[in-house]
Amino acid sequence: MELEELKHIWKQGEPFQPKGEAELASMLRGTSQSIITKLKRSVWFELLFTIGAGIALFVYALTLPSGALKWTSLSILLLLVVYSFYFIKKLILLIRFDTATTDIKSNLEKLYLTLSSYLKFYKRSYTILYPVYFCLGLLFGALERGTAEFLEALGQTKTIVYLIFVAALFFFCSTWLTTWYLKKLYGNQMDKLRDVLYELKQDLPAA
Amino acid sequence: LANEEEKRFITLINENQGLIHKVCIMYEHDYDARNDLFQEIVLQLWRSFSSFRGEAKITTWMYRIALNTAISGLRKHTRNVKTEDLREVHFNISEHYYADEHEEDFQRLQWAIRQLTEVERAMIMMALEEVPYDEIAETIGITQNNVRVRMNRIREKLRKFMG
Repeated sequence: MELEELKHIWKQGEPFQPKGEAELASMLRGTSQSIITKLKRSVWFELLFTIGAGIALFVYALTLPSGALKWTSLSILLLLVVYSFYFIKKLILLIRFDTATTDIKSNLEKLYLTLSSYLKFYKRSYTILYPVYFCLGLLFGALERGTAEFLEALGQTKTIVYLIFVAALFFFCSTWLTTWYLKKLYGNQMDKLRDVLYELKQDLPAA
Repeated sequence: LANEEEKRFITLINENQGLIHKVCIMYEHDYDARNDLFQEIVLQLWRSFSSFRGEAKITTWMYRIALNTAISGLRKHTRNVKTEDLREVHFNISEHYYADEHEEDFQRLQWAIRQLTEVERAMIMMALEEVPYDEIAETIGITQNNVRVRMNRIREKLRKFMG
């Protein structure tokens, strides 16, 4: 079957229902469903929520008398500040990818790079944050039991072995969970992009 | 309509909406998904409309954005279209249309194109729309020679699929 014959069939093709100008105009007010836009939207939401929660927590901490609760609130506040920077960095990574105006190959390469660096940053930051959570857990344990009693318990071999075991388990489970979660959310998209790019990069010899 | 630029854009889309419809037919299976893709393409075109300076032909610019949007998006439906049987297509034709011979040929061609990869679909679609090879190469981001070789293979595949 020759191309001309295929063109002839193609031109007899399925008629479409043209969209009116009003409908087209209303489409411009819609929200994009592209993966980058969706990610940007969710990061903006997380950032605004973190800032809001941080301000509320700060105001609450100011009303507290000095003590365990105040220090706990302030340490959480510190975490929220770190999170805000984390979300800003994520946004910067995503904003680098603009609307697809380049050729398909360059655009897909750019999208793949953007998503890869976003996911790498996501994973790395959680790898750093989980030990922070663990140390905060220890700190709260110390505050709860009393520093002297806690330090005494910490000197015992049994407690040290127990803590190392819990830290290893916590680190393993959280890393596994992050990897699984990212693969579940973006795995298919990344696989598809990799396949299409592989196909585009193949330099085919003349038949 | 809000402003002059929006008016110009709507006129442009109105004149070339057949191109967007065809991309949607190539990449989406059902009516709702096609409508979603249509809207997404219009949005992406609108976002880059202000930066379009006319260096490329308007249709090349539209193909580039429409195909980028279709290929980089993840299909919502989990069903693999490659598993769709030609008999199923024939069933759909006889069920929903009083198909004449041309319509049946078109459905068979559509089915055969769906068996191709997403990049191959983009290339054959442009070729069927009489887009010259240098513009196809520019849109896809490969050499003209590569386009020629790939087009030969695509034709072979279509010949096989269509019997």
